[in-house]
Amino acid sequence: MTKTTASSAPALSVTGLTKRYGARTVVDDFDMELPAGVVAGFVGPNGAGKTTTMAMLLGLVRPTAGAGHVLGSSIDDPAAYLDRVGALIETPAFYPALSGAENLRMFATVGRYDATPIPALLDTVGLAGRGGDRYRDYSLGMKQRLGIAAALLGDPELLILDEPANGLDPEGVREMRSLVGDLAGTGRTVLVSSHDLSEVEQVCDWLVLIDTGRSLYQGPARDLLGGPAHGLVVVAQRPEDHLALFDLLTARGDDVAPEHGRLVVKVNGSDVGDLAATVNRAAFDAGIVLTELSPQRTTLEDHYLSMVHGGAR
Amino acid sequence: MTSVIRAELARLLRRRTLVAIAAGSLLFSVIATLSVFSSAQASGPRSRRGGTTLAALTDAGGGTEAFAVGASFVGFLVFVTFIALVATEFSGGTYRALLLRQPHRVRLIVGKLAGALLVAAAAIGLAEVCTLTVSVLVAPTRDVATAGWFSLAGVGAAARDYATVFAGVAGWAIFGTALAVVFRSAPLALGVGFAWAGPFENIIVDSWDAGFRVFPGQVLGSLIRGGSAELGIGRAAFTALVYTGVAAVGTLLLVSRRDVTA
Repeated sequence: MTKTTASSAPALSVTGLTKRYGARTVVDDFDMELPAGVVAGFVGPNGAGKTTTMAMLLGLVRPTAGAGHVLGSSIDDPAAYLDRVGALIETPAFYPALSGAENLRMFATVGRYDATPIPALLDTVGLAGRGGDRYRDYSLGMKQRLGIAAALLGDPELLILDEPANGLDPEGVREMRSLVGDLAGTGRTVLVSSHDLSEVEQVCDWLVLIDTGRSLYQGPARDLLGGPAHGLVVVAQRPEDHLALFDLLTARGDDVAPEHGRLVVKVNGSDVGDLAATVNRAAFDAGIVLTELSPQRTTLEDHYLSMVHGGAR
Repeated sequence: MTSVIRAELARLLRRRTLVAIAAGSLLFSVIATLSVFSSAQASGPRSRRGGTTLAALTDAGGGTEAFAVGASFVGFLVFVTFIALVATEFSGGTYRALLLRQPHRVRLIVGKLAGALLVAAAAIGLAEVCTLTVSVLVAPTRDVATAGWFSLAGVGAAARDYATVFAGVAGWAIFGTALAVVFRSAPLALGVGFAWAGPFENIIVDSWDAGFRVFPGQVLGSLIRGGSAELGIGRAAFTALVYTGVAAVGTLLLVSRRDVTA
């Protein structure tokens, strides 16, 4: 899925972006730069400022301070770039009495887009057979997919999707992940906010972490997630060997910790492959059969919780 | 802005809406004509409160008198319709979604209003034609001569009635839009609109005649009627222009400056 094709000019960049509502600061001196062509996951807890930041990029909300550019134009003049941006922000909003296809035609007319690709767009989002149904009869998942179709009108260079899987059932979440994954393969820049960290981890090649309106991390996903393994997960076949294995490894001088019915051996700078080989040999010599011997890497969830909660969890 | 108008027309001019407009125009014409002809006095002043006179019905403008009188009472309906139309765009999020396609906020709101007013203009024309037709049928029951209705002066009076009714409807539409933009919530805007244009104005004018010349709803009613004993057409038009101008400017300022968070 990773497809970073970053070119020199960023698709969007903001510096010092700030939004205050009275005494409440929602976005606080926020910086972000997305290279063109990346699929960026915009991750943060509820109320972190994700939607407000996206709304400022889309000209819906005026920044209190800061500056930025989207597709080369200032965010002070959204009309200069919005015809090249597709967006789904907050919940999808359409006219309930119109069909899905009629809604798309209306949005195409307002934006002066060619309406010819609408059947193909409905097909892309899995609504080919339901385009003639009234929007009010759509399920939540269908509404979200129609929102994606509307965002794709005009074949935008940049897609901004605000929690597209929000409120969907597990099957819907999987479908949406697949859809976003397909969009990621089209070469356009995508900024997608999500609470589903596994979705972000699987689909995105760029990460922006935000909390209380401030940037915690931004950069290539591989820089955050692709680090060396920090542990080796070891599981004995027979539960009664668990303690013996712990004693064996401790006696070898390994830094071992039991964790959810398995043992985790800290790598401590050594090569995880070499460590796995020696642990396996020691267990074999002691007559202990292992069913799992795998490297443990820090997940996005680990990073996220560590950054958002300062490692409190 | 033309793209917004075209999109709004495409949204509104659907079979169900067209049937509702046709049925509404016919119902309006029957009720207005029967009410006006049955309540017409032999003589007396034209009042915002009262009906018309048989003499006025016999005049060149008599053919569309029922249309003008009846229309002065449906302004409130236009008012709440526009409140509901616009406020629902805000509370339902379609205004926000459309802004992503037409970021010029003033063009979007003016285009949508213009599209709706074009539909209203057609509905008003249909209602006038229907009312004239029903009036021709009802006129003999009150011994009202209809010859003058089809004279050049009659056509002029019909055009004048159309213009004043449309101007009044546009005024109500602007007030409704303004209220919807201020509150951005259909129930809240409708509640305030109902309270103001319904009980408040009408209770006050019962004890304060100057209210006919001051309150926006009463002024628009007089404008639609083509002037009344309490407020002449010239002053009604001027006052309505000032009121709607202030409402329009305030609305556009609010639309262009306020964050879109819904």
